[in-house]
Amino acid sequence: MRRALTGLIIPVIAGVAWEVAVRFGVVPGRLMPPPSQLLRTAISLIRSGDLQTHAAATMSRVGIGFGFGALAGTLLGMLTGASPLARRLLDPSVQALRAIPSIAWVPIFILWLGIFEMSKLALIALGVFFPIYLGTLSAIQDVDRKLIEVGRVFGLSRAGVMLRITWPAVLPTWIAALRSGLGLGFMFVVAAELMGASEGLGYLLVFGQQMGQADVILVAMIVFALLGKLSDALLVAVTAPLLRWQDTVRARL
Amino acid sequence: MTTLAIEGLSKTYADGTEALRDMHLFAHSGEIVALLGGSGCGKTTLLRLAAGLDEPSAGSIAIDGKAVTGTHAAISAVFQEPRLLPWLSVERNIGFGGRRIANGERRRRIDDLLQRTGLAGYGDRWPKDLSGGQQQRVAMARALIGRPGILLLDEPFSALDAFTRSSLHELVLALWQDLRPTILLVTHDVDEAVFLADRVIVMRPRPGRVHETMTITLARPRNKLAAEHDITRRNVLRAIDRSLAGDRISATGGGAISPWV
Repeated sequence: MRRALTGLIIPVIAGVAWEVAVRFGVVPGRLMPPPSQLLRTAISLIRSGDLQTHAAATMSRVGIGFGFGALAGTLLGMLTGASPLARRLLDPSVQALRAIPSIAWVPIFILWLGIFEMSKLALIALGVFFPIYLGTLSAIQDVDRKLIEVGRVFGLSRAGVMLRITWPAVLPTWIAALRSGLGLGFMFVVAAELMGASEGLGYLLVFGQQMGQADVILVAMIVFALLGKLSDALLVAVTAPLLRWQDTVRARL
Repeated sequence: MTTLAIEGLSKTYADGTEALRDMHLFAHSGEIVALLGGSGCGKTTLLRLAAGLDEPSAGSIAIDGKAVTGTHAAISAVFQEPRLLPWLSVERNIGFGGRRIANGERRRRIDDLLQRTGLAGYGDRWPKDLSGGQQQRVAMARALIGRPGILLLDEPFSALDAFTRSSLHELVLALWQDLRPTILLVTHDVDEAVFLADRVIVMRPRPGRVHETMTITLARPRNKLAAEHDITRRNVLRAIDRSLAGDRISATGGGAISPWV
């Protein structure tokens, strides 16, 4: 607890200094709204229900995009991890696609899938897919051959080895991959919403910029940070029971 | 009651290393056979072939007279490293070796083995919380819970300190007295071979093959400090010396170094 409080020292000092600087007219409050102003803006956005609507829209995009991306990445990673033939066949193509910066897909997705939800979800899923695919594949390749031999000596079939040795051995890396995938999901939802949306926190960013309301932009940024952190913490909490056996318990989120 | 017959077993790895050449071995039911030798004499290769983890290039393995290929329910193993599954608790690791046993009976055997290996109360710990010696005891329990006819021991004591090793020797013998598995023990420790085995097979390297077989007639329980133990030990050392004599001349020639140390 005390350690956590230590981390708050700098933000609190910075916030107070900011507040004071604006009060004494050292910096212009309209472009650099102080914490008190941000709080007022946030409260009014919550009162009107706008913030909830935008946050919900963003979260559902991240959720759906992440879900599809994670599922595809995991399944394909498992396939290429388990079968050398599948790896030789598929991995080069996946790696080639990975070389394309994901944002570069935006125009073609819009042409193919339209300007609305589908192209956004596709972009997020694509961004989420690669780290999870790579994580799953390399985790399967890194499974200790010696443990697999234990499974064989004690009579496990190929499927049994996969289920009882490979899968638990892969879990920690896979979960780490899910976490980095989720982080990218938040990155790409911003990109997706910046390219044109009528709701979502990304839309709020654009709206604030167009209206010259720095406080709205900053509130949206903070909410992004909070939701990202919260989702990650949730993922960690849900998966923690699976990793109790690990020697190195993740010290921090 | 399980016998192990190995006939003409050879193994040449894909890279051309001839790890084992024309190995013949018959282990009687309940016998402890020690394979003694340095690196590259094919003893671990032999064990891997017997366990069904590798395919022989030639020759055959038979259990109770029936030829087998691949892994076999009657064969169990303890490796040089404990190789416990880190995501299973100690008791579930032990239970892993006896998945075919009915639940109640398995539970009973787990408790019994925990007791006998001195790990009572450690059942719900994680492997990482155990010392190296304790982990190897769990591995031993896992290998024996299924009452295997044949137990393969691949230098399971070599990574342990002298005290822990000694107590594990006692444990192996105690469990062997009860369950009487046929044991194939790979080791490079002369004392260990003399203390545990009914028969010591001295092997020589490159390619791995049998050099000399010696029967150990010392009565059990054995005493490492007894004079007879010392005499037998010296006889085995002499056999090892003879096995190296042929290699001395070519020792500077630098043969291929086997990765199966």
